[in-house]
Amino acid sequence: MLRVRNLKCYYGKIRAINGVSLSVRPRELIALIGANGAGKSTLLQAICGLISHWEGEIALEKASLRGLKPPAIVQRGISLVPEGRLLFAPMSVLDNLRLGAYVRYRRREHHRIAEDLESVMELFPVLRERAAQPAGTLSGGEQQMLAIGRALMARPRLLLLDEPSMGLAPFLVRLILDTLVQLREQGMTILLIEQNARAALQIADRGYVLENGQVVLDGVAGDLLADQDVKRAYLGKDYREFYEGRA
Amino acid sequence: MPIWNAGEECLDLEERAQLQLERLQSTLNRAYKNVPFYRNLLQEKGIEPARIETLTDLQYIPFATREHFSDNYPYGLFAVPLRDVVRIHTAQGTALKPTVSGYTKQDLLVWRELVARSLFAAGVSKNDILQIDVDPGLINWGQAYKDGAEAVESSVIPLTILTPEKQLMLLRDYKTSVLITSHSAATQMMHLVFRSNLNPNELALRTVVLVGEPPDAGIQDRLKHELHVKTWVHYGLSEVPGPALAFECEARQGLHVSEDHFLPEVVDPTTGGVVPEGVAGELVLTTLTTRAFPLVRFRTGDRVRLLPGACPCGRSLSRIEWLSSRTDEMKVIRGVKVHHQQIAYLLERTLGFLPNSYRFLIRSEELRDFLEVWLKVDEAIFSDEVKGMERLCLRLGKELTQELGVPVKIRLKEESSFQSLQLSHRIEDLRAKPFEP
Repeated sequence: MLRVRNLKCYYGKIRAINGVSLSVRPRELIALIGANGAGKSTLLQAICGLISHWEGEIALEKASLRGLKPPAIVQRGISLVPEGRLLFAPMSVLDNLRLGAYVRYRRREHHRIAEDLESVMELFPVLRERAAQPAGTLSGGEQQMLAIGRALMARPRLLLLDEPSMGLAPFLVRLILDTLVQLREQGMTILLIEQNARAALQIADRGYVLENGQVVLDGVAGDLLADQDVKRAYLGKDYREFYEGRA
Repeated sequence: MPIWNAGEECLDLEERAQLQLERLQSTLNRAYKNVPFYRNLLQEKGIEPARIETLTDLQYIPFATREHFSDNYPYGLFAVPLRDVVRIHTAQGTALKPTVSGYTKQDLLVWRELVARSLFAAGVSKNDILQIDVDPGLINWGQAYKDGAEAVESSVIPLTILTPEKQLMLLRDYKTSVLITSHSAATQMMHLVFRSNLNPNELALRTVVLVGEPPDAGIQDRLKHELHVKTWVHYGLSEVPGPALAFECEARQGLHVSEDHFLPEVVDPTTGGVVPEGVAGELVLTTLTTRAFPLVRFRTGDRVRLLPGACPCGRSLSRIEWLSSRTDEMKVIRGVKVHHQQIAYLLERTLGFLPNSYRFLIRSEELRDFLEVWLKVDEAIFSDEVKGMERLCLRLGKELTQELGVPVKIRLKEESSFQSLQLSHRIEDLRAKPFEP
């Protein structure tokens, strides 16, 4: 579904992503893990068109996303749940959700938007209770649910999530990730970025480990979960000591 | 015939190309980061891993050869810390220092999968009793075949070093239905069956998996007709990292390379350039998933041809035709690779000096292949006691047999035997081709 080849992204002269290739097949849940500064968020931003200066190929169902502005990419079927949620705090929960469908109103899909609103409320019942409340008054977990709900309102085929578990209590992390599993079962394709490598790999089909803007490991999630390297990558440790622990 | 892992083996070609590129890039990143040898190799050429943007870009990277294995003895080519390594294999190299390869837990699972899929393609199943009989030089393969055969739930008789007679006894009494062996050992087994007046119909054997040597249609025909078995050829690397990385399917049109784990290239052995599809050349392999001991553009010395087109079996894995001659100076005896330099090293080590005149021959007696070493009797070797000379022969023979993993005979020869000979000090193959049609 999504195919990235040799992606290189720059911040001025600094190359944040240095030749990354990865793919997400339909109905897969892919975890992208790595330490701080590995380039995970940059990668998602490039896919969503939030960074325009990149080299390589990004294609959704064989159609290149090069040169597309974010709204056009949302229309192609990619939605992002950004890091830190980025909700519109003074606006109500309902309005935040409606905003997620902003590209669809122009296409006069009011009826279907109302249906989707209903199914998001079903997915996260707490949002129905808080529908009229300003988004800023929600708890962290509720805000994350709202952010995911808002992304779903665009009716994406591919959902991108940037650190959805950040700052959440473990049981809320579980809840959010369970929702992702549920979404995948309903046919959604998901690319998930997480620092919480263990939690992400537990629900993912496959995973990629990013280090210094490069993929250093890839494979079936279960295999990566058992991998010593992943633990090290996640902890951000280095290979300096080759014979670690063995004389 | 069913397919073990249809998802991977029959993957859409475009999907596979993407998968291979992703895996190639992460392998290169790991090798560059963790193995100084590969980092230096790339840096000398001014290449950084991100330069490799397509599968064909791989050709800009220099080759790795068997010499590099000895140079980096023992752990120099490992890409993970030792504590992640769960198995360490030693194989003889071309020099005195052996080749050491390591496997992580994950690597072993991959091998298990590769062997299982190859055996499954040969129709091996839980109803089989599978016997592994390869020469000591291929002992590492015994382990991999055991694991893979257990994965397809066969009853496995693991590799035990026994005389050919004992192996036959096992084959008959244990009702072995699948035998994994080399062409030479299979020939010898067949010979033994008839010599011991055993009717092949009394054997439960129905499948022979031939490993270690390029396919020989004559031998396979004879096995088929005289032992009433089906034969299947598997291709593997004896030094690293294991067997069955290419295998025959029921279509019998070449060997499928497990391309989800290895990237094959065929190059011109002299220029090193990649040859067009269908042209014979040297097989060069790059590992795509190996963790502990990654290989980047390893020159195998095996001559192959990449076969174009799709296979009727439905697998999309590309196929090679394994050709008989080699592109390097190694010789294959009973599936075990031997290099003349390595024999010379061993002679020098055991004797304390390198004899002036020697000759290495591969010969065959009663269909049993062995290495014969001729030494010229000069002052250095001569002893006035016959016993002394005999002892020397015995000691040398034993040492070489043990080191090389193939049978070795030592012959002391007078000077006249060496006259009129153009001594190349290479290995000469004097095996008759008994089954040439």
